[in-house]
Amino acid sequence: MPKTEYLQGALDLLILRTLALGPNHGWGIQQRIRQVSDEALAVSQGSLYPALHRLEAAGLLSSEMSTSENNRKARIYSITAAGRRRLTVETEDWRQFALAIRRLLQEG
Amino acid sequence: MALITTWRNLRQRRQAEREFDDEAAFHLEMETEANIARGMSREDARLTALRSFGGVVQARENVRDARALRIESLWLDARYAARALMAQPRFICAAAGMLALAIGISTAMFTIIDALILRPVPFRDPAQLAHIWMGTDRGGRTVVSPAVLNAWRESAAFEAAESAMPGTVLLQAGETVVARESATVTPGIFKMLSNVRALRGRLFDPTDGRPGQTDRVLVSETLWRTVYGSDPAFVGSSITVDGNRLSVVGILPSEFKFPSARTVLWRPTDLAGSADMAKAYVRFAANMARSDALRLATEAARTADGNNAQLRPWVYPLAGLTDTNATQSVRVLAGGVVLVFLVLCANVCGLLLARLTARRREFAMRAALGASRGRLLRQALAESVVLAAAGMAGGAVVAWAFVSVSQQVIPETLLLQTLNPLTLDARAILMTSAFGVVAILVSGLLPAWLGTSVHAGDSLRVVDRGATEAPAARIIGRTLVTIEVALACTLLVGATLLTRSFVKMSQADRGLQTDGITTVWLTLGSKATTDPAARTALARSLDDELRQLPGVRQVAWSYGLPPHGGMLSFGDWISDLPGALPVNLTLERYVVTPELFALYQIPIVRGRGFTSSDTFSNVIISQALASRLWGEGDPVGHSFRFIGETFYVVGVAREIHFPSLDPRADVPEFYHPYTEVSFTPMVSLRCEPGCPDTAVIRHRLAISHPAVRVQAADTVDSKYVAELARPRAAAAVALTFAVFALTATAAGLFSVLSYAVTRRRREFGIRTALGATPRRVRQVVLRDGLIVATTGLALGTLFAITLSGALRSLQYGVTSSDPLSWAIVLAVVAVTTLAASWFPARSAARLDPLVLLREE
Repeated sequence: MPKTEYLQGALDLLILRTLALGPNHGWGIQQRIRQVSDEALAVSQGSLYPALHRLEAAGLLSSEMSTSENNRKARIYSITAAGRRRLTVETEDWRQFALAIRRLLQEG
Repeated sequence: MALITTWRNLRQRRQAEREFDDEAAFHLEMETEANIARGMSREDARLTALRSFGGVVQARENVRDARALRIESLWLDARYAARALMAQPRFICAAAGMLALAIGISTAMFTIIDALILRPVPFRDPAQLAHIWMGTDRGGRTVVSPAVLNAWRESAAFEAAESAMPGTVLLQAGETVVARESATVTPGIFKMLSNVRALRGRLFDPTDGRPGQTDRVLVSETLWRTVYGSDPAFVGSSITVDGNRLSVVGILPSEFKFPSARTVLWRPTDLAGSADMAKAYVRFAANMARSDALRLATEAARTADGNNAQLRPWVYPLAGLTDTNATQSVRVLAGGVVLVFLVLCANVCGLLLARLTARRREFAMRAALGASRGRLLRQALAESVVLAAAGMAGGAVVAWAFVSVSQQVIPETLLLQTLNPLTLDARAILMTSAFGVVAILVSGLLPAWLGTSVHAGDSLRVVDRGATEAPAARIIGRTLVTIEVALACTLLVGATLLTRSFVKMSQADRGLQTDGITTVWLTLGSKATTDPAARTALARSLDDELRQLPGVRQVAWSYGLPPHGGMLSFGDWISDLPGALPVNLTLERYVVTPELFALYQIPIVRGRGFTSSDTFSNVIISQALASRLWGEGDPVGHSFRFIGETFYVVGVAREIHFPSLDPRADVPEFYHPYTEVSFTPMVSLRCEPGCPDTAVIRHRLAISHPAVRVQAADTVDSKYVAELARPRAAAAVALTFAVFALTATAAGLFSVLSYAVTRRRREFGIRTALGATPRRVRQVVLRDGLIVATTGLALGTLFAITLSGALRSLQYGVTSSDPLSWAIVLAVVAVTTLAASWFPARSAARLDPLVLLREE
């Protein structure tokens, strides 16, 4: 599977979307994105963790240290109210962006 | 949330990193297990997981950057700024010192205005508290009966209604007797004012003041410390008040001032006595319109007491500056503070500007390395913020010092207008910070903007060869100093006018002798008041008693006390000259015994003094009245009329004056002979070397004549001193401001010129090499200083003329165009600017071209 690079905004969107379904830890978020996108989107840990921490610092996510399903210490992220608002806005933006790209490609 | 996270990161960066390490470890484990599940060996699974993760350290760095970007770099800026400032201790001392002075003065002034005008009543919800008199629309105000107070307590108009009746008490502590202000209060008054707590002991209980429980007393901390030597077992002990033994139930803190700023002793009352009256203090109900409350109060008062049928309540604040003259002087001084603040900020601005333009190379270098304009601005402003922080800390100290001094310097007439203890409180500290922020913005923004306007390319070029000054910095530096000179000049004009007013007023002719004279105002007891013969006998016995006092040489009786305590008569006065027109005048009338003229050394300039055969209509008039009614002619033997009364002039006395800022205070006067002892006579005593303390006089009379009450006892001098206190304080404060502003301006001019000289070293070197004499070089620099000074003076004169209207009501005997005042201002500004320019000019003239050329 080739590593796909994408815009930072897209990564934020993916993280927010994933967490909107429920709190999860970093590894879980990564696995979820991979599964849902049918292995098409791979997020490297090198981008994932800074992005998580940046979103937390911006108040879109919150986190706490707790124990995972297999009884290990893990940091669990969840989405905040501000994060949900951002997700709505960004989803709409992304949809319009995608629509514009599709129109452009169809014209050609 | 985000802020807390960032803050946590800042404070506990290590812990955050450890947490991230845990997080990474967890991720690796999960990945490894997933790999094993896919069929890899444990070792392979781990390696693959590690590879896909990338460097842990790098990831950690990335995470840190993502989290703590903003605040951490701000912190770095602040630390860098502090280090950069510390490298130049002289600069930071000068700049932070000036900021501290600016912030401190403003805070102190705020504290004073807060106490006198904004918050004179330091109790909960002061707008709801009031003092109520009953009265008519024509004037005349009276206290209420206890029945009315009770009706008000029941009324929905008020949350509470209590009474506090002021008085003077004689306190005996050991051998000393002192007179102090006291108040007789209903016990509930402390609860009504709220947030009153006893320092020791307790406040009054509701039962205090009932029959058998009146021998209780509350004492102020001030009194406890000054008169009773801070006796640790004071609460529970007994003190002697007006000859009675009363037991002390508590000590109130010195900050508690009520009903007057001077009250130091409180006694309880239940107002059940037959003659008791209530001086009403109320707290209005919060939920009722004021007009409705007053309507209810009027009805209640009229129902409770028939005497109130024609009266209605008049509401007064508990305290506060009401006198327009005093308010104006406080306003003028506040304006002065703003000017000083601006001068000092302009100075700091100039210093920062010089400093930042000198560092243009550094900024250009940083711009070349990729710093944005915003980043550079932030760095430059960070220095101002660090400076301002130091300034605020210093400012708090300066403010504290100023407030302590001003408590001594502010005239009592002003301090008595407030119940506020005049201390630096939380509000003042808040203002300190606000002034600090304003100071950074005023002084730091412009230099930061100019200092950072650099091109990245500058760092590569050979700039800063120092041939001349940067034009923008030069213009702005000069403009700043010009403005400083103008503001300082304005302040100096104000200070000079106020000082001249004070000097003129203190030297003004009084027309009478005041040294060693004490006056006593008596109320004769009830038995004597009805019968004139009894009053005369009582007066004779009092006269004897007073003459027994140590040092008493002369005694004179009167009704009305010179220089400013006569009965005022306002209207049309007509002389007996044929065809004379009525003259509209306000006059003071005194009823005096013949000795009074000798006692006050008021000479009779024409005619004669009083004799025992004179009747009430035989009068002695003052010189001013004589010239108003008869011009140059001799009034002795003539008569004049006033609303149906006719007065016959037997003599003319020298005019007496009462110099005051209020021109209405000094009016002409005339004297009637003292034909009958009045109910409330006044006695003047002249003693050598000086009269006994007023408390001694009160004590002596309290023992010999218990029925006679001393309403007031005071020295004549103190009346003049009280009137002079306000101009003196205004002049002292204004002079202090002017000195600060001038010093700061001189320092500003000095630093701008010195900086210019260092920047122009090469230019001066070349000039000297080409044959310019040291004198010529010196003139170049001096001329620069002179241009700044004259422009500033011209501007300042304009400011001063515009603002002089504000001073008019505070001036005595000088006009705003007073030539001497202007001459003083010109001379002082000229000397100051010359002195400030001289040293830079001399150092420019001493530059050695050879040394300069070698430097290249």
